[in-house]
Amino acid sequence: MLQYQSQAVAKPYFIAAIALFAGQVLFGLILGLQYVVGDFLFPAIPFNVARMVHTNLLIVWLLFGFMGAAYYLVPEEAERELHSPVLALIVFWVFLIAGALTVLGYLLVPYSSLARLTQNELFPTMGREFLEQPTITKIGIVVVALAFLYNVGMTVLKGRKTVINVILLIGLAGLAVMFLFAFYNPNNLVLDKYFWWWVVHLWVEGVWELILGSILAFVLIKVTGVDREVIEKWLYVIIGAALITGIVGTGHHYYWIGTPDYWQWLGSAFSALEPIPFFMMTLFAFNMVNRRRRDHPNKAATLWALGTAVMGFLGAGVWGFMHTLAPINYYTHGTQITAAHGHMAFYGAYAMIVLTIISYAMPHLRGQGTAAGERQQVMEMWAFWLMTVAMVFITLFLTAAGVLQVWLQRVSEVPQPFIAVQQQIGLFYWMREVAGVVFLIGLIVYIASYFVRGDEAVTTAQPARV
Amino acid sequence: MPPIPTQTTADVPGQGLAVAAESLYVVNLLLLPGAAFLALWWLHHRHADSAPPLAANHLRQTFRACLWAGVLLVVANLLIIALGGYRTPATWVVVVLYFTCCHSALVLFGVLGLARAMAGKLYRFPLVGAPLLPETGS
Repeated sequence: MLQYQSQAVAKPYFIAAIALFAGQVLFGLILGLQYVVGDFLFPAIPFNVARMVHTNLLIVWLLFGFMGAAYYLVPEEAERELHSPVLALIVFWVFLIAGALTVLGYLLVPYSSLARLTQNELFPTMGREFLEQPTITKIGIVVVALAFLYNVGMTVLKGRKTVINVILLIGLAGLAVMFLFAFYNPNNLVLDKYFWWWVVHLWVEGVWELILGSILAFVLIKVTGVDREVIEKWLYVIIGAALITGIVGTGHHYYWIGTPDYWQWLGSAFSALEPIPFFMMTLFAFNMVNRRRRDHPNKAATLWALGTAVMGFLGAGVWGFMHTLAPINYYTHGTQITAAHGHMAFYGAYAMIVLTIISYAMPHLRGQGTAAGERQQVMEMWAFWLMTVAMVFITLFLTAAGVLQVWLQRVSEVPQPFIAVQQQIGLFYWMREVAGVVFLIGLIVYIASYFVRGDEAVTTAQPARV
Repeated sequence: MPPIPTQTTADVPGQGLAVAAESLYVVNLLLLPGAAFLALWWLHHRHADSAPPLAANHLRQTFRACLWAGVLLVVANLLIIALGGYRTPATWVVVVLYFTCCHSALVLFGVLGLARAMAGKLYRFPLVGAPLLPETGS
């Protein structure tokens, strides 16, 4: 059922991504409970360790998803087999084992001991949010990224160059290049934070948007049958808007870290424009589905694609804009409003695009044909709604907690200390935890959908109804 | 997958006007509140009765949705603040959540409408849209 046999290497990447996603959600639930029951699982899993595992697993499973997506779509776009399927599998196991050992290190050894154990003093890079990995792991990530880029790059170079695979390649190369700033760890705290954002921000609000756009465009071509030329023109405009707004938009992280004042103007102006590419992505997705030439049998993949556009717009666009202007961020900085934005943006823009390509590719990879059977798709769509609605409520409860936090801690005539405020917003944390449990149920339904048997897969698309 | 014959949506009468109406609706919510509404009101006043069905549909839908947006975003928020008190944290929790959800939903409805207009299709705004007229299809 695969157009190119080497596309099969995407399957282990997707399976690993889903397994790590499950781990991330479990640690999210542990963290959520620790917000309201402070000593839950203490001292076995302290809050800082659970948070580190939660965020690191997010990054790693998304990277597995992006790599799987590249291995799946690049051969089809380039119209040739992957340069080296064996290298792709070696890279998979190296990355998986290194990732697992790192997470085990976080869980089993105190962080300072892990730093000693991995000789961090020789080349110190540890101890920074999201970049907590030991230096040796970071070097491993670079090796994995280089091998991956070589494999995908050679495939594209030898094959057909399309807008989709070239933009994907640029995005993946950008991802690897920006990660190199994780090795720059100056003593000056301002410089440290300044370049730390080059990894964190220029990933999620820069090069990752190229990866997101190209995967979305690939899936939309497949499920709608709309001319490639139309979709590629949209893709150009979207990634242009994403880079124009997103690169200088990095300034919205520079307001209060000791950088010059002009960043408040630059950051506010450019990041206020950052919802534009997400707005266009939503318009693009719905426009393509409205103009579709075929009713693709994989309805679940189409749902994920449309969901990505909508939730990306809401999470990254709307919830990002909510606190991006400097005068507002002066009050909201580092509150639960940031957490609300982070949750919905990561889920909407990146988790969902990975689930979109998995939904589209898995029936092919599992030999089911163009789409999974009806029952499996129904379960997958239930999972979509459970997870998505749960994430909306997680975001709303965190936003409510954030607004109250800002008021009690920073606006009130008698500002209260952080911990005193945390106790007063506990109700919202409890409600967030309940929504988190619903999200977990959605994820269980999603995973279970892969084990459903009993109805026939669909293999052909029908012309669209007028 | 074998190619399937194209359904063309090009040259649907009134499509330009329909796209303009939906664009003005979105601009009213995102960029130029008030000014974009006035432009939409003028388009609606001038063309709603004489435009082709597609354009008439989008003009009527967007004009009505704009009026609802005014009520839901301005009047309702002022009411919440008036009833809850300006310096009450609960008021601001409700206002921020209500405004963000309501505004986002109205923008998304507009995006769906704009996508339908660009595809040359009729549209009814969810919740705030007028029923489609059976005799004209608009």
